[in-house]
Amino acid sequence: MTAEVAKFQPFIKFLLQNERVVENPIRGQIMMIMTMYYDHLRNEHEHGSQVDNGDDDSSNRDDCRGIDHFVDFLVQFNQISGKSLVFNKEISSQNSNASMINSSRLVWIFRTKLLLLQDRLVGKEARNIEYKSHLEPSEENHNSIELLDALDKPVFSQIEATEWSKDKEILECNFATLDNLLQRRTASSQLCKHKASLKSAKKAYFEVCNNNNHNQVLANISFNKRNGGSGGFNKSSFPSVIQTHQKIDECQSMMSQEIYQCSKRKIHFLPIISSHTDLYLGDCSYLDTCHKMKSCRYLHYYSLNPLVQANSICRGTDKVKCIGDEYTMGECFTEYEREITPAQWINCDIRYLPFSVLGKFAAIISDPAWDIHMSLPYGTCKDDELLSLPMHELQDEGIILLWVTGRSIEIGRRALLKWGYRVSDEMIWVKLNQLKRTIVTGRTGHWLNHSKEHLLLGVKGDPYWLNRGIDTDVVVSATRATSRKPDEIYDIVERLVGVHSRKLEIFGRDHNTRPGWLTIGNQLQGTLIQETEVKQRYTEYLQNSKTNS
Amino acid sequence: MSKNVEHSRQSAPSESSVAALSNRYTYNKFGSRKRLSDRLTVAPSGETLKDEVGSSSETRSPSENRKKVAFKEERPSVFVKDLDYNNHYIHTGQSPVSQIRNIKNPIEGYPKLNKLHTLKKAQVVKHSTKPYGVRIRSDRIIPTINSWIEQYSLKFDVIMIGALIENQFILPLLQSIPIHKLCSKPGFLFIWATTQKISELTVLLNNENFNKKFRRSEELIFLPVDKTSPYYPADKGDGSLLQKQQWHCWMCITGTVRRSTDNHLIHCNVDTDLQIESPNDTRKNAVPDSMYRVAENFSNSNRRLHIVPSKTGYDMPIRLREGWVIMGPDVILNNFHPAAYIKDLSTSSLLQYKTYANGLNSVSNAQYLVPQTDEIEDLRPKSPTIAGKKLQSQL
Repeated sequence: MTAEVAKFQPFIKFLLQNERVVENPIRGQIMMIMTMYYDHLRNEHEHGSQVDNGDDDSSNRDDCRGIDHFVDFLVQFNQISGKSLVFNKEISSQNSNASMINSSRLVWIFRTKLLLLQDRLVGKEARNIEYKSHLEPSEENHNSIELLDALDKPVFSQIEATEWSKDKEILECNFATLDNLLQRRTASSQLCKHKASLKSAKKAYFEVCNNNNHNQVLANISFNKRNGGSGGFNKSSFPSVIQTHQKIDECQSMMSQEIYQCSKRKIHFLPIISSHTDLYLGDCSYLDTCHKMKSCRYLHYYSLNPLVQANSICRGTDKVKCIGDEYTMGECFTEYEREITPAQWINCDIRYLPFSVLGKFAAIISDPAWDIHMSLPYGTCKDDELLSLPMHELQDEGIILLWVTGRSIEIGRRALLKWGYRVSDEMIWVKLNQLKRTIVTGRTGHWLNHSKEHLLLGVKGDPYWLNRGIDTDVVVSATRATSRKPDEIYDIVERLVGVHSRKLEIFGRDHNTRPGWLTIGNQLQGTLIQETEVKQRYTEYLQNSKTNS
Repeated sequence: MSKNVEHSRQSAPSESSVAALSNRYTYNKFGSRKRLSDRLTVAPSGETLKDEVGSSSETRSPSENRKKVAFKEERPSVFVKDLDYNNHYIHTGQSPVSQIRNIKNPIEGYPKLNKLHTLKKAQVVKHSTKPYGVRIRSDRIIPTINSWIEQYSLKFDVIMIGALIENQFILPLLQSIPIHKLCSKPGFLFIWATTQKISELTVLLNNENFNKKFRRSEELIFLPVDKTSPYYPADKGDGSLLQKQQWHCWMCITGTVRRSTDNHLIHCNVDTDLQIESPNDTRKNAVPDSMYRVAENFSNSNRRLHIVPSKTGYDMPIRLREGWVIMGPDVILNNFHPAAYIKDLSTSSLLQYKTYANGLNSVSNAQYLVPQTDEIEDLRPKSPTIAGKKLQSQL
């Protein structure tokens, strides 16, 4: 059967509009192109926009005629257009079996020939068409591999000739020059870093005022009984920061303008001096976490943070965001319009949950309750139980972060190796107290005081898509509730693997749940799954385990 | 405020999660904490797991609760409780470490601890030997140590190996060093290692030579303040995903020491396991002052050896230090002789003989100590003593 020539007109139009069918994700699959084309025809028809095609009926009849017909159509089209469609395997209408259709793909569209044919069909005269070829037939991923190589190199990789060495015939290459060259950052790391600064929302940041006089004056004003303040303090009678700022506004005349301005710009720690405070003893080791603040003779402080406008916390204009979207290494190319999966969590005993239910992840965080031979207010996990978890099921390639302490540093390293990871970094969390100082007292360790915690970072496979070298391996953050880890880690992981990749937290608690993350653990409240596949698999698993028991 | 933190769920939490909840704290905005359990209402648990999956979409998520807490006082203005130093770094390039407030004086605000540090420092200096240097080729280090052991039965109590340099060729040295003969018992070992070397070192420390005697006790870390620091580690592209900013030093202990009873040998909890480059420390050194001080404050023994196995480069000098014997190819001074050292040691330190049973024979061992004063004893952090035990010791 020979199709009428006019019938090719909508197909040319379709191809010109959808030249990207040869790229990801369609990659020129004939089945996909057929479906797209028939959809296209249907849309055209419904919207009544088929103005230039007089033969409505014939195109309708061709709708959804099946793959054989479509292959036939393609062969004819190629004949009439002088092979404008290039396939990786020759297609023919005679043996259009399933394997041929599956294996042959459209790799290139010869745009010029299409335009010529279109002109001929409309009846225009032959003319010179200015065209730009967007796509060259090439080995798959040829371009992207070249790009990846370029990203791995520094932007400038030549040794620049200095004034001194220009005169000499042979470029002298001393140690410093070579070292400098070796330490140049790669293009990808520079791009990543720039992107991170464009894309992560800027949080309010304040300096801390180190002027003792400021703190003293502000403390006198804020805590003075005569102007309505309370003299003695216990924990429940602290005024709120907003109240204190109001009081400082009221008493503006009692301090110099400099101090007033400073109180609005910087963080101040106001000494709380009660009748039982002994100034010679110095600061309390526990400061704002002290249990006996009512009677503790050591000095405590009140944190007076500046106020910020609520809407100014997340500054980041759309324009800036758009620029950040242009470099998509490690992310899906539709990243800018994708929504982040809402927080998901499953309350379960990790030892018995089959991990195949959860799927694969780009990043995993785990904070196991290590059995460190200390009496702790929560149940601990035996080393063997932890080591025997089927962690290899959760990732094909990606990163894992494992919190370790003391004795468990060694077990943690061993566990990562056993699970198929390579320890790439050792991050530390420098714990700060209320006054933004490191914790140096309070006998926090056995031989030495501990003012940091360790986080092992392991890599599996060769994930070239990671955004390396953005953050440093040191996280500086204040301590919070017992065994609660800093949230900064999540931001660092999201910068490494991208906000849209699937991320898992094992042994998580309620405060660990967050958008983009799936949290599992036995201290979570209930279960909430957003991803349909996971939800289905989990429900099946529950039903199966119920019928088995 | 705390009411919002409390999770108001209609569906019943399983019994295990109720038990877990009773141990959870909530922090109010001043950081003081309250137990949640006394206000938590527990509904009888009767729902099946399957129902939980279905019904959970109606229940409020913990993160929603959290949001409510954060934006409660939003109307005119809010205050930020925690500073996010890493976010600040991404936007300004200012190193998080440089923002820590006690870099200049780590023990700021603690007059007692400050006094203790001053007293200990004075005591260590008062009883230290003069600075000794052994300038020696890398391949001669082990034979020289062997000759000291054979001819003078020289031992050290504190041995530091390595420095803040990459490619220090520490493994060949550690494999051949006669550590069990060189190190006294009890003794303390400080080994510098980079993250990449740690796995190799782990294997090594578990071998015959070390593991039978040495327990890895602490992992010390030294942090340079920011990129301009001379101590900032070079990025050698060794597969790390983050920018490296730290140096690791392992502290290993051999022999028996108890922190409650062996106060003549060790003083615990005087320093922390994290040392940050001090702006007061303007002289660059292969090992920063503060790291030597951690060793000196911890061990009250007077025989200290530092081996830097390889060349350190022209911009990383090895400075000699009172009380230490420092050996390596880039050490400038070469003034060490075992006999003279032992003589110096005997005059400067407090000598004690410790006898312990070794099979059938009892062996007595000389301990060269830094004598401690009552004031130091009074000030140093101590393990809490149980009332009964204390009474016993007083009797």
